[in-house]
Amino acid sequence: MDKYLLPHKGEIVKITQETGSNLNIKTFRVRLIEEEVRKKFKFLPGQFVELTVFGVGEAPFGFASSPTQEEYFDISIKETGLVTEAIHNMEEGDQIGVRGPFGNNFPYEEIKGKNLVFLAGGIGLAPLRSLINFVLDEKNRDQYGRVQMLLAFRSPEDMLYKYDFSNWENSPNTTVKYTIDEECEGWVHCVGYPHELLNEELDLKEPDTVFFTCGPPIMIRFITEELRNSGIDPANIITTLEMKMSCGLGKCGRCNIGRHYVCKDGPVFDLKQMEQMPAEF
Amino acid sequence: MAVLKVLQKEELGKLLEELKREFQIVAPVIRKYGKKERVEYHQVEDFSEIHLNRQPDTPPKKYFLPQNERLGEEKSGEPVVEPGDRKTLIFGVRSCDLKAIDILKPVFLDDDFTDTFFQKRLENTVMFGLGCSERQDNCFCDSLGINPLEDEDVPVYMYDDGEKIWFHVTDSELEKFFADFPDGDPEELEKMKKVWQEEFEKSAIEIGVPIPFPELVAFNAPFWKEVAANCLGCGICTYYCPTCFCFGFFWEKREEEIDKWRTWDSCMFPLFTKHGSGHNPRETQEQRTRQRIMHKFSYHPNNFDGVPACSACGRCISHCPVNIDLRVILKTAEKYLKDEEGVKSSG
Repeated sequence: MDKYLLPHKGEIVKITQETGSNLNIKTFRVRLIEEEVRKKFKFLPGQFVELTVFGVGEAPFGFASSPTQEEYFDISIKETGLVTEAIHNMEEGDQIGVRGPFGNNFPYEEIKGKNLVFLAGGIGLAPLRSLINFVLDEKNRDQYGRVQMLLAFRSPEDMLYKYDFSNWENSPNTTVKYTIDEECEGWVHCVGYPHELLNEELDLKEPDTVFFTCGPPIMIRFITEELRNSGIDPANIITTLEMKMSCGLGKCGRCNIGRHYVCKDGPVFDLKQMEQMPAEF
Repeated sequence: MAVLKVLQKEELGKLLEELKREFQIVAPVIRKYGKKERVEYHQVEDFSEIHLNRQPDTPPKKYFLPQNERLGEEKSGEPVVEPGDRKTLIFGVRSCDLKAIDILKPVFLDDDFTDTFFQKRLENTVMFGLGCSERQDNCFCDSLGINPLEDEDVPVYMYDDGEKIWFHVTDSELEKFFADFPDGDPEELEKMKKVWQEEFEKSAIEIGVPIPFPELVAFNAPFWKEVAANCLGCGICTYYCPTCFCFGFFWEKREEEIDKWRTWDSCMFPLFTKHGSGHNPRETQEQRTRQRIMHKFSYHPNNFDGVPACSACGRCISHCPVNIDLRVILKTAEKYLKDEEGVKSSG
């Protein structure tokens, strides 16, 4: 069997309905079936996998769980197309194909000792959750400084990982803020787009801070602009990009931005790198 | 030690019969499609069919990257029927097409993800090169530093002077096949090569564009609109191209089994990059044409030691239904990038 082009088999061991009726996002917990494969399968926060629904097709998804969870990984999926629809129709116990892990990762080593800010919009929180849970893991927490999060959702109905929130809030030296697009009844947190709330809700001036952002392209654009205008070094603004990655090997030709292949050189890029890349994403 | 052997054309069959004991022979042959004649690479049994007089319409890329390749059964991981061990000899491959295979090597043999299919096919294939005694339609390999009359990497390089075929054999293991044939006079061959070379020089075009194109300046250049204005996005340039290697996967159901296949795909098609969400980073034909040219002359050489992903065979020019000419694009880029450089250095 070809090492890179054919998938390993995984079992969906748990399905969590994340959002309410507005946006259909589910989280799938996948456990690789063969023990040998499972032991060798080492991923890092920021990487992605190609999931195959047998007989339907294949699509790329970022890891949403921390590699500190070794037995399984979580993938959060929004129902948008053929493959995601088929995955959404699957049940616990069903088998799925897994190819990967692919791509680079968040610089979890380089940011040790630094303060971290996470800025997420909607399902953009999924890849960040892998790093958040890694950093906040008891074994790792004291290696990182202060953690601030601003998590944006369209509405309370669209929130995901609600079951993680109390863990995050109770983690030492960590603050978590939430915002939704429009005021609604019973909502006690922030309201408004995240880029408008940065200065007000976060402490941006703390030295030695690294910013991680992921969300809809428009949100990433506004947030990175705002941070840059606040004098943040673009090398300390890190995001993860999404393209139609197919092979995962930097060959098939779909995901390049200039000379960089998002599947191999990315998906994690800092703003300094992105400013040198053609604007084609 | 190299040897030079010379065969009368009628003797070619005799040589190939010998080679056939060890190799499966692939060579350019004529195929008729109605009134249209095409020269294509096929496995040949009847050696009188072989046609060396002009550049084949299609390159030999398919023997390294088949248009469709079964990768395996997806659920069981059932072993793939890999390309067989039988050695293939591709006979009469011109310098542009030899260079094209060379261009594919670092992509598919990279240390991170070696493509075992490509690797195996490469290991099992021997190519006999063929010099061009005259410029072919729309080609300009000499402008990109490729020598249409030599290639150092193949074990045998041939020359066809109309009556005789000359074989420059540099692999001692292959010499045995040529033992019965007379030696050629190297001076006579050199004289002919010189004449051919001079003819090439007369019709040469100068391509002075910097390769790689500077990524951001070239990407943001205004000339793409003009260059791509007529492009239909049919993708035929990518299918005739000896170096285009974009691919996609597709699946085929047998009974319970599902085969995963790899197939040629094209950056000229809008669906190629369209996300499930509907967002498409290369939505317009202008963007896609730019991608194809930038990939060949900027991104690829930036990633692979300055070598462009083009061997200037001219097939994209010959087959474009709206006469888009790569040479014109390269000249347009050259003018723009030189003017930009001028503006920068004077400003």
